[in-house]
Amino acid sequence: MSQGPDTLMGKPPVVAPGHTSGSVTDKISSIVLERTPRWWWVGFGIAFLLVQLLLLSLTKLVLEGTGIWGLNIPVGWGFAIINFVWWIGIGHAGTLISAILLLLRQDWRTSINRFAEAMTLFAVACAGIFPLIHVGRPWLAYWLLPYPNTMGLWPQFRSPLIWDVFAVTTYALVSLLFWYVGLIPDLATLRDRSRRKWKKIVYGFGAMGWRGSAVHWHNYEVAYLLLAGLATPLVVSVHTVVSFDFAVGQIAGWHATIFPPYFVAGAIFAGFAMVLTLAIPLRAAFNLQDFITLRHIQNMAKVMLATGLIVAYGYMVEIFMAFYSGNQYEEFMLLNRIGGPYKYHWWALLLCNVLAPQILWIRAVRSRPWIVFLAAMFVNVGMWLERFVIVVTSLHRDFLPSSWGMYSGTFWDWATFVGTIGLFLALLFLFLRFLPMISIFEMRTILPEAKRPKESSS
Amino acid sequence: MTDGLALPADTDLSAPASLDGVRRRAWMVATVGIAASGLGFALDSTQFYRSYLVAWLFWLGIALGCFALGLLHQLTRGAWGLMVRRILGAATRTFPLLALLFIPIVLGMKELYLWAQPEVVAHDELIQQKLWYLEPRFFIARAVFYFAVWISIAWVLNRLSLRQDSERSHKLFRRMQFFAGPGLVLYALTATFASVDWLMSLDPHWYSSIFGISFIGGHAVSALAWLIPVALYFTRRPPLEGLLRPRHFHDYGKLLLAFVMLWTYFQLSQLIIIWSGNLPEEVKWYLARTEGGWKWISIALALGHFALPFVLLLSRDLKRDARRLASVALILLAMRWLDLYWLAAPAFSHGDSHAGLSFHWLDLATVFAVGGLWTAFYTQQLQRRPMLPVFEPYLGEALEDED
Repeated sequence: MSQGPDTLMGKPPVVAPGHTSGSVTDKISSIVLERTPRWWWVGFGIAFLLVQLLLLSLTKLVLEGTGIWGLNIPVGWGFAIINFVWWIGIGHAGTLISAILLLLRQDWRTSINRFAEAMTLFAVACAGIFPLIHVGRPWLAYWLLPYPNTMGLWPQFRSPLIWDVFAVTTYALVSLLFWYVGLIPDLATLRDRSRRKWKKIVYGFGAMGWRGSAVHWHNYEVAYLLLAGLATPLVVSVHTVVSFDFAVGQIAGWHATIFPPYFVAGAIFAGFAMVLTLAIPLRAAFNLQDFITLRHIQNMAKVMLATGLIVAYGYMVEIFMAFYSGNQYEEFMLLNRIGGPYKYHWWALLLCNVLAPQILWIRAVRSRPWIVFLAAMFVNVGMWLERFVIVVTSLHRDFLPSSWGMYSGTFWDWATFVGTIGLFLALLFLFLRFLPMISIFEMRTILPEAKRPKESSS
Repeated sequence: MTDGLALPADTDLSAPASLDGVRRRAWMVATVGIAASGLGFALDSTQFYRSYLVAWLFWLGIALGCFALGLLHQLTRGAWGLMVRRILGAATRTFPLLALLFIPIVLGMKELYLWAQPEVVAHDELIQQKLWYLEPRFFIARAVFYFAVWISIAWVLNRLSLRQDSERSHKLFRRMQFFAGPGLVLYALTATFASVDWLMSLDPHWYSSIFGISFIGGHAVSALAWLIPVALYFTRRPPLEGLLRPRHFHDYGKLLLAFVMLWTYFQLSQLIIIWSGNLPEEVKWYLARTEGGWKWISIALALGHFALPFVLLLSRDLKRDARRLASVALILLAMRWLDLYWLAAPAFSHGDSHAGLSFHWLDLATVFAVGGLWTAFYTQQLQRRPMLPVFEPYLGEALEDED
């Protein structure tokens, strides 16, 4: 066949033509092994300052308590939960790309899975901070775990908040394992290519004695596939449990059966937006257009559009059911979102999450990275607003008008949130500098030279 | 191999003549089923409508599932769907028949739906608040709209696919893809509102926002459970004999497993949320489905619609063996009917928890009546097109022996 079906369909290649195993290895490992570019120091410096802000806010919190936040009755859940859900949702794209797309044999995942997984880990790290500090006395957070003790303390297993402890811990552990196992062959490459002794030792420890023998590769493939199988249900389970945190309650605006699938779709939506937010500048900064091609941008834009449509479906069903139910609290909740004191949040949310992604229907738009980047930024903001609307507007005006109130984040609420963004970026900068951001050995497997020549049939 | 065609352009791909025999048998089943249903209608028209609604929804679910699966495939491409594209396509051309078969439900609306009975509505404040939506004329208008959407999307795509065959060109697949995206969006919206209209409103007080998605998940299971036995039938007859291979069934088995899990996920989410919330207007829906004999139907669904197929479909050998896979599919097909019965029938006892479960022979007769007619029509549609879309760019990949 002179033309493959992909060419017929007008799809850009997964790797730009002309690359060999050697050039791929050179290009990706050079990012780690060459001199540090100046912009890296600037970026890392800013992120590092924001980490200091996070540490300051956390210190202040431990010294004074959650009173420094804007929380009060009736809004007992605020920024901490919003940020927790926002961060954990972002993580989901990494797991989807690395596990589900692997099982679906989507070869385009190869050049984006490594940093998407790293993104997952860092996002989960940021997410994990919030429930821990929200308990008020974080040094007693281990009480959340079921362990034998003399205080007669035992978690309430019917509460999804406890399921969260297990879901998120499992998620963090499996993501870490998956990421690390995937790194081993590449750490060996870095060990072999480093010129300094100490670098060889450090990467050598990480590579765990990898020699690239057939037995190593065989064991590796088995382990990686098993981990992918283990990680797959986590894409669904973690955010399902998060949605239960809200949905099992009786608050109008929380108690909706659509929540689990709609939260999972929202998480993947947010996650792909974040992967695009990172991938588009990175491919420009490191000249990786050959590896992260238009094909990747287009495919991710499509996933973002599809999951965005599911999220929009969720909004629509919520609106319809509020009126169909004939339940006055449901109906009021919705009217309060549309026209109440937080109406700008709600309308901005629709603009960001429903309207903006619709431009991705157009093929020409999907082929322009910076427009896709812009759409992704809208989604990043929109998904934060979505959680704000769900948490705050449902709580601030509940069943009794006498108990209504307003909520807004204080300086320390914002400082903590911005601080976690700093932590996320700082970890990401370190990752870019010290580990290969694209899987070197997997890239080699999708090169044309790695393809078995096919016998031509009649 | 010219122009990247996977099969020589003059290959005879017309559907096997043995379908004539299937059609004759389908007509026989239909005749008996219709006669029995007619008798049942004369004896007990209310029971007839109740049984008929479930039977009609069951066959409609297969057609809608094939429609959605076909759209999904046309949007995402890939090799998995090409082998059965025409098997799915034939089902989407049965919408006009299914629309015609909606007429009995319009006629029986007053006997099926509480909100259509003025004497009930007069004493029920909650239903009165819902009359803006649950209103007989609006109900009919919506049904007409749903069918108009389904028939027109199916018509456009079927026509393009036929043109692709006659123009012998690769060019049209992009146009089909262009229609498939919005088509899926429209399908999801219409199916959601249809589920509210035809099933959820049987219990006019109750509501659940996941219901529409659950209904869609059911369609996907129905479609695959139908598709697999049909594909098995074609493995032994030309032109698909030798072309439909274990690896194709492996793919369908995987998809079936995925959709079974998805269906279960929706059901379980709804159950956990409603059970935890424990609100009187919501939880009574589950109480009606777990009391009396209904408990056993619930358990049968948990086992037959999830546990058993889940365990069986994990096996790679089973998925690659078309015969064994088809038997799992047939179990699921029966479960699809049971699921719809479980969703609809408890509502007819109107809160009388002592009414309990009682199957009626009309439940079976109507399934045969609608099914016989539908299958006869379906086989006729199958014979109208070549069994494979020869000019699809990925067909070569789809026909490869192993990857």
